Amino acid sequence: MFRAMLRGLLAHKLRLLLSALAVVLGTMFMSAAFVAGDTMAKGFENLFSTVNNNLDVQVTAKSDAPKSEQGNEVVTAFVDQATVDKIAAVPGAARTTPQVGTDGARVVGKNGKVVASNGPPRFGIGWVADDSLVRLREGSPPTGPDEIAINAGLAKTTGYHVGDRVDVITLQPRKTFTLVGIFGYEGGRDSLGGETTVAFSMPTAQELLIGAPGRFTNVDVQAAGGVSQAELKSRVAAAVGPNYTVKTGTETAKDQASETASFVSILKGGLTGFAIIGLFTGAFLIFNTFSMLVAQRTRELALYRSFGASRGQVNRSVLLESVLLGLTASLVGLGVGVGIGYLLRQLLESFANANLPVSGVVLRPYVVIVTLLVGTAFTVVAALIPALRASRVAPIAAMREAATPDKPLGRLTLIGGVVFATGVLLLALKLTDVVKDAVWWMLGGGAALAFLGVAMLAPSVARPVTSVLGRALSWAVPGRLGTRNTGRNPRRTAVTAAALMIGVTLATGAGVFAASAKSGISSVFTNDLNAQLILSTDFTGTGQAGFETSLVDKMKAIPGVQTALAAQADSVRIGGRTLTIIATDVDAAKVIFKMTPKEGDLRTLNAGEIVVDTDTAKEQGWRLGDTVPVQTARGGDYREKIVGIYEANNIANGPILNMADATTFRSPFAQQGYVKVADDSQVGAVRSQLDALVKDNPEVTVSDRSGVIKQSSQFLNIVLTILNVLLGLTIVVAVLGVINTLLLSVFERTREIGLIRAIGMNRRQLGWMVTVESILISVFGVLLGVAAGVALGIAIVQAVGTDFLKLTMPWGYLAATLILALVAGVLAAILPAIRAARLNVLEAIAYE
Amino acid sequence: MTTDGVAARAVDVWKVYGSGEAQVIALSGVTVDLERGMYTAIMGPSGSGKSTLMHCLAGLDSVTRGNVWVGETQVTGLGDAGLTRLRRDKVGFVFQQFNLLPTLSAEENITLPLAIAGRKPDKRWFDTVIDTIGLRDRLGHRPSQLSGGQQQRVACARALVSRPEVVFADEPTGNLDSRSGAEVLGFLRNSVREFGQTIVMVTHDPNAASYADRVVFLADGRIVDEMRDPTAEGVLDRLKRLDITAGFAGDDSARLAREER
Repeated sequence: MFRAMLRGLLAHKLRLLLSALAVVLGTMFMSAAFVAGDTMAKGFENLFSTVNNNLDVQVTAKSDAPKSEQGNEVVTAFVDQATVDKIAAVPGAARTTPQVGTDGARVVGKNGKVVASNGPPRFGIGWVADDSLVRLREGSPPTGPDEIAINAGLAKTTGYHVGDRVDVITLQPRKTFTLVGIFGYEGGRDSLGGETTVAFSMPTAQELLIGAPGRFTNVDVQAAGGVSQAELKSRVAAAVGPNYTVKTGTETAKDQASETASFVSILKGGLTGFAIIGLFTGAFLIFNTFSMLVAQRTRELALYRSFGASRGQVNRSVLLESVLLGLTASLVGLGVGVGIGYLLRQLLESFANANLPVSGVVLRPYVVIVTLLVGTAFTVVAALIPALRASRVAPIAAMREAATPDKPLGRLTLIGGVVFATGVLLLALKLTDVVKDAVWWMLGGGAALAFLGVAMLAPSVARPVTSVLGRALSWAVPGRLGTRNTGRNPRRTAVTAAALMIGVTLATGAGVFAASAKSGISSVFTNDLNAQLILSTDFTGTGQAGFETSLVDKMKAIPGVQTALAAQADSVRIGGRTLTIIATDVDAAKVIFKMTPKEGDLRTLNAGEIVVDTDTAKEQGWRLGDTVPVQTARGGDYREKIVGIYEANNIANGPILNMADATTFRSPFAQQGYVKVADDSQVGAVRSQLDALVKDNPEVTVSDRSGVIKQSSQFLNIVLTILNVLLGLTIVVAVLGVINTLLLSVFERTREIGLIRAIGMNRRQLGWMVTVESILISVFGVLLGVAAGVALGIAIVQAVGTDFLKLTMPWGYLAATLILALVAGVLAAILPAIRAARLNVLEAIAYE
Repeated sequence: MTTDGVAARAVDVWKVYGSGEAQVIALSGVTVDLERGMYTAIMGPSGSGKSTLMHCLAGLDSVTRGNVWVGETQVTGLGDAGLTRLRRDKVGFVFQQFNLLPTLSAEENITLPLAIAGRKPDKRWFDTVIDTIGLRDRLGHRPSQLSGGQQQRVACARALVSRPEVVFADEPTGNLDSRSGAEVLGFLRNSVREFGQTIVMVTHDPNAASYADRVVFLADGRIVDEMRDPTAEGVLDRLKRLDITAGFAGDDSARLAREER
């Protein structure tokens, strides 16, 4: 029985290959994501264990200052010399090295622009004479206040040589140094992991990097022989007291690695998500293939039944086929995926300009297990329904015509309607806030059910929709025949189209969201912001870029400027919460942000004063005249009196601090500036003066509203492009499905094709007939997808519901999607059309 | 070569399948003229090569050696495009079964060859044909809503509507009961009598052959006899004699070999 089935399976190689390809693509994507992620994580782990090779214990000062939004500790508390001395005196501490090291030393390149970072930090350090990791390659160590050394990787990207004059931006504005040395790392590496490092003399580092002369960011301790890390840790901890964090070298390496691990796991999670969507799409394809194979093999299966095979045996054999198919395809996918994962890592490495410390591929057992399991499970589940159907074939069917017509769609339509309605109800309950909790269950489950419902309703609309669409293609007989053929098996057409619908739905939803975000942002900037010119700061890196707040006086002095403001933003602890707030001149902000006072005054604030918006006040229960505690990143521990409460709007919707107390923000600079020009005709003149003002600061750009809008659109476009590329995978799988369906249809209609060839249809006409069917299936799928996607987009926009989202249809994008469907339809038709055209007329007619 | 008065012609046609031990000769040097405006039946025991001859004449199958003409067109040597044009413009077909596209109505099936060629049907001729087959009230029906005999009459109408040089019918009554079969055969004969249509029909049924003007007998891939104005009894008589002289052994193996291809 099994052997006979296996032979049956192999008899349909091409169809099998196409379904297998769908599984291969999905599992490939998944394992590639796993492997690339694991390999990168391993690389980081190794990197940090190398860095901390000679470290037994590390001491940092504890700080209860606010953490950054990513949850990282912003280095704010420092270790003083007295503590360093205490640590050095601990018995068993062989060597004590106080260090200064922090992110945020930005080098200005030869082109006058700041050397950008693609993610890795831009370190500034204090030079330590006998660092076990650092190897001076050229020149000498930095000693004077005007001297620096840089790592070889940075020297290579910038082209700087020893003796060059190099500008560096730190906590202080751009300053010129002499490059006196270039260093590398243990093992001949130019950089440890793509980072750039600028080394200053220790006093200079203390002043420029942490603004705390005589203090250090951390103290590294090496144990004397015979003293364990743990032992030394407890001794040091006892010596320095509770205000310091003491970790062993191993702990330090682990903590540092886990910081990057979150990035790696986000990347892995995202890619895996797309892999699952791809597999889901593939499942439709497998479902269709098995349905059709089983339908065509009705006679064969009935024959087995007629000589005594039980229903279970038929079931098992079809399932066994799917297990074999799924397993084989998953294995191939795994193999290819591991290779791609490796390439992906290589690509990232060359992109980040780093040599990661691991060159091999990390293949963990779970990758193999999960990939094979998921791939096989998807295949088997997709084959289950056809298998059950196959077992219901009565032996008598062996005597009848092989191709049985589709069952009536009534029941399916009814169930589909119920499923769809349930999904919509869940979404509606969530969107109207009837149910507050379980956001993801409601939204995700609702969307999935609604989607499934649409897929189940699709067969009943397939025929009417495709026949209407087909009219556009039916100027001649082949087009008409193609249209009729599309309507013949509504289930098959619908399932094929539904596979295409998945990717298109998501892409369209994202498109609607992006378009809404673009128009929302543009409307906020045009309607709610009362300033024509905007100073913005390079936001990549550490958020330390910016301009001096005193620049605002020069801005105001430009002829034609009505008012201007400079705003500093940072995370602070306020009223027991960590919030990102801004500090600025409220008198100017009142005009520029169109703030309306509710209580108290909106005026320039003095030290110790704050204004808050109505929402925050309500949430926190604050009233006018209350005093709230505010703690800033670099030491400020203030009590701020609320002197005004304003109505929250799109631009201003949080506490606004006075500028005096903001000097202890993480960065002393302002990140944003807004200039209101009295008369629109003067904007050009004011802009050129502003440009001149920030000429020396390569991290600040002046733009008008349209420039800002363009920037945010560009960002959205990039995100959308990445999303579409990833969704492209599912669309490729779906197009494979269209090819598969058409091949099967051509095969099923062999005799018809023979007949129409016999009565005079030529190959070109036959090809067009197949192409019309292909186009109709594709366009039908894309239309379903666009409709579902638009609905999804609207649902998301409504659910998020901020003013930065203004529901907008991306008509061009939708049109492009439809054109893509036409192209996909034509491409998918090529192989089946060739097959149809190659049929020998006589054999086709005689075919049974 | 002139083909006046001849609708289709085969000259020394050979058809050989396979090679070496497995070689099967389906046609060995068949030469035959099929006159214009005449109803010709090709008969012979199963496997005698009668269907192969028809397929070769119609351009559905290629010949191993020899030449075939339909009207003025030399069929041998035509490429796919040429063969398609020949089938579209010069030839009509009626097969034993599966003659109609299930997605099209009877009327659409009838006009399909014209539609494929991009020609408009001649309204008067169309009406004449429809009235002759007597299915005017069924034109909007799908094939699945028609009986076997009705389907076959629709197929005949389709073959006639483009006024081809010659209509080839391959066992057109093979799947029908005798009454429906008689209707179809009568209709074919009428189209020869009244419209001057040329029809070549392959059959193994002496009764069907008796509707023809001329019967050509095949055995072992050769033309062994022919008969003008046949009667069913005469044909049956002739067939019996053929069976005795030709036998079946070789024929059956030839048929099997062909089916296995």
